Amino acid sequence: MCGIAGIMFKNGRTDHETGVALIDMLDGCQHRGPDSTGFALYGEEHESELKLRFLVGDGAGADESVALIKSALDSHDADIVEDHRVGNTYQALVTFDGDLRSFAYAMEHAAPEAKVISIGRSLDIIKDVGSAHEVDDRFHVHKFKGSHGLGHVRLATESDVRPESAHPFWATGFSDVAIVHNGQITNYWKMRRRLEQRDFEFHTDNDSELVAVYLADKMAHGGALREALKSSIEDLDGTFSFLVSTHDEIGYAKDRLAAKPMVMYEDDDLIVIASEEVSLNRLFPGRALNTKEPPPGSYDTWSKST
Amino acid sequence: MVQIDLAAIPVRQANEQIREYGAQGEDIDIVNPDARHHIGVGLTAAVTVRVHGSAGYFCAGLTDAANFEIESNAGWGLGDNMYSGSVVVGGNASAIAGVAIRGAEIVIRGNMGSRAGQVMKAGTLLCGGNANFMAGYMMYGGRIIILGDSGERVGEDMAGGEIYVGGKIQSLGSDAKLGDCGGAEIDDIRAFLERYKISYSGGFQKIVNEGKKLHYKTAETQMRSLPFVAFSGKSDYWNPKIQEDIHIKSQIGRYRVRGYGGARELPHLSDIAFAQDLTRLNQISDPVSKVEMHTLIGAKHGATPLDLSMPVMIAPMSYGALSRSTKQAVGMASTLAGIAENTGEGGMSDAQRGAAKQLIFQCLGGRLGWNIHDMKRANGLEIYISQGAKPGFGGLLLAKKVTKELAEIRGIPQGIDLRSPSRHPDILGGDDLLIKVEEFREATGYKLPISVKLGAGRIRDDIKIAYKDGFDFVELDGMQGSTGAGGAEVMEYVGIPTISAIMDALDGLADIDAVGDMQIILMGGLRDGVDAVKSLCLGADAVAFGNATIVAGGCISCMQCHVGQCVTGIATQDPEHEARYRPEIEAHNIHRFLESVRWQIAALTHALGYDNVKSLNRGDLVALTPEAAAISRLPYRPELRQRAALVAAV
Repeated sequence: MCGIAGIMFKNGRTDHETGVALIDMLDGCQHRGPDSTGFALYGEEHESELKLRFLVGDGAGADESVALIKSALDSHDADIVEDHRVGNTYQALVTFDGDLRSFAYAMEHAAPEAKVISIGRSLDIIKDVGSAHEVDDRFHVHKFKGSHGLGHVRLATESDVRPESAHPFWATGFSDVAIVHNGQITNYWKMRRRLEQRDFEFHTDNDSELVAVYLADKMAHGGALREALKSSIEDLDGTFSFLVSTHDEIGYAKDRLAAKPMVMYEDDDLIVIASEEVSLNRLFPGRALNTKEPPPGSYDTWSKST
Repeated sequence: MVQIDLAAIPVRQANEQIREYGAQGEDIDIVNPDARHHIGVGLTAAVTVRVHGSAGYFCAGLTDAANFEIESNAGWGLGDNMYSGSVVVGGNASAIAGVAIRGAEIVIRGNMGSRAGQVMKAGTLLCGGNANFMAGYMMYGGRIIILGDSGERVGEDMAGGEIYVGGKIQSLGSDAKLGDCGGAEIDDIRAFLERYKISYSGGFQKIVNEGKKLHYKTAETQMRSLPFVAFSGKSDYWNPKIQEDIHIKSQIGRYRVRGYGGARELPHLSDIAFAQDLTRLNQISDPVSKVEMHTLIGAKHGATPLDLSMPVMIAPMSYGALSRSTKQAVGMASTLAGIAENTGEGGMSDAQRGAAKQLIFQCLGGRLGWNIHDMKRANGLEIYISQGAKPGFGGLLLAKKVTKELAEIRGIPQGIDLRSPSRHPDILGGDDLLIKVEEFREATGYKLPISVKLGAGRIRDDIKIAYKDGFDFVELDGMQGSTGAGGAEVMEYVGIPTISAIMDALDGLADIDAVGDMQIILMGGLRDGVDAVKSLCLGADAVAFGNATIVAGGCISCMQCHVGQCVTGIATQDPEHEARYRPEIEAHNIHRFLESVRWQIAALTHALGYDNVKSLNRGDLVALTPEAAAISRLPYRPELRQRAALVAAV
């Protein structure tokens, strides 16, 4: 019950107006999901540093959560380079070179009231209740420059309207992998139990988190994003159109029934994908675009270096 | 010729202008369309609309007679339900192009998305490039021409019509086969191509229905029928109902289909009672004059609401399941009582429109009889998601009832066992549904209340979607509701009880802090004004009666509604049987029943100490059984079971 959007500039530079582009595209399909809006943004890569964003809420509890997070960072040898409180989140840039998955799980448990939204060398996820423009007002997404990113507008059905249920979802435990998803995975619990038996942790009951972890796990075993997407079409049941991004790639997969819309436009400079053409047209007002609709059961990827 | 700039005004305003210009016979140029949705929706004038760019969802939807030219691409649902006229798309069209068309010509010069021509009835859908999968899915008639490749599962579950493929046939759908093709039909296609200046010299293969799934292999044999009392099976384990069930299955070798309502004992409104002792009710004189019952339904988003003299409506029942005369009688009764009637599936007849002063037009997945003209003369529109008696299923009308006349109205082949689609082609989630609701509003100028019918299933989630998608009210149907035909096991085991439905609905609204902000019409086996008052106390804003009005109008409850040989002329399309039904007389019988409901609602409301039905509340109720108490969360008062029956008093 959502609208999705993704963009990648092809020349590999990280000074593109990615934030503005995603806000425009999501505003164009806000009718598909008025409850919450989110962005996965990829800026400059930090070699030995990690960007972390936590949802801490507001008020007195937030101060307590931040204190607990700081002490957890300290005990895992992550030194804070800089940190900020923005809206209901706490953002920290840290130096860290240990095992990411155990670090990520430790951060998730650092403070009972806080949740990790994203961890990455270039990834930053911003998501909250409200429209694209409302979230931008709180987090200044329009100022963000980068190479690529994803966006999502959500109509909450089964789960609550809360910031942590908003998309994009970070692939918990895997640096820089994010997903936005429109649809429903019907073998969710079966797939989740399989991953849990291998000690993966899930922090929501949202099927999109599962897709993110599933793909990241495939890639962690040496597979390319393409291969991971290909097997997702075999392994996942249900209706879905999703976009996935890594530090240097963006890709999509669409279920074999094509029950959820997706349309894309590509030229020499960029690739843009969205639920509806009206979102793509926001970037090219007044122009008839030569768009393509991916066939059922298909997938593809683009890399920022090519 | 006039120009409308969509960079300057919103689509809603543009559509108003398009209709005004159309009425004056002016052609229209749309600039800066930028793939916006609903362009030209609801236009019924023979003018040309040129879209200079790409169009979004439902371009040219719900139109008749207009010609559209779209320079570039079109989104989902191109030309939805078009009656006549044409659409030419210069680029590609997305999913379900030509959905439910009934006679238009749709030409897509590029490729077309999946499920093109789903549930189309007549007309031509041409694709110059390749089609995506399931082109012609559940089509009932008309022709699809694909010059490129067919896509997979072409013609899936088609019931009629033809699909011509110039390129490769990737795979045939279920119940589709290759047919012979040549001569006049190919000449006709070539003439069509020439008319639209499309050069194509290759040959064609033709795909038609294989006829394996149009009928049940074995017909339902009519046996000595059991009276409902015996059928409801309250007696011993191998009771007459079970025996009948096994006998019939031993003849037909499959699940049974039957009509009428559920027969299983379930927690219901009769397991709920009033906390106060109201047995002296008969001593109240003229309660109707003492209680305010006037109810407006559907004004939430500025539409003209339904104006009900009491919080009661007629539940949706189709012309098809019921005879035309019966629908007419129910419509007349609704007018006499000052309440609203509902078309159910299968279109709106003139007789029904004339009889009912207020009429809701119901839209189902098969779009059988759905059209812009009847939308415009309705007083409300309703999107059917499912019904209480058989949630998750579409309508079921066995061959005997699918007469020539009925088939024409619905746009389907005559004499098939019509199993209507259980899903809408263009509603696969809350996001699509929202765009659909907006299409209906655009088509009817935002004047009509738009409701959704939910058969009790996952109500707690569904009602939140209904709220967020901007419906004006919800019609909520529990499993005690009746049906003209349904799988016997489905009717007794699939739905959820009516009192659970209303509780789940209120819980869902409470989750999003919207209790009181979404009107609920509760239905599903309500029998009298006592049931109505209990429903209002539980939180419904109004109730609807279906089967009760049919019984009031002469139904003998023989439970053979599906067969089509109804002896009372109610559930039949056979003119000889229908002749036994006298609509004027039955209309008064139904009306008198509705007046008894009015009296009961008034008397009970007055006796409970209120002068307005809106004051009724949960505090007035208790539960008599542990099940009803658990479901309704009302105080459990088993000792009140001994109290004199209230129905006897009112």
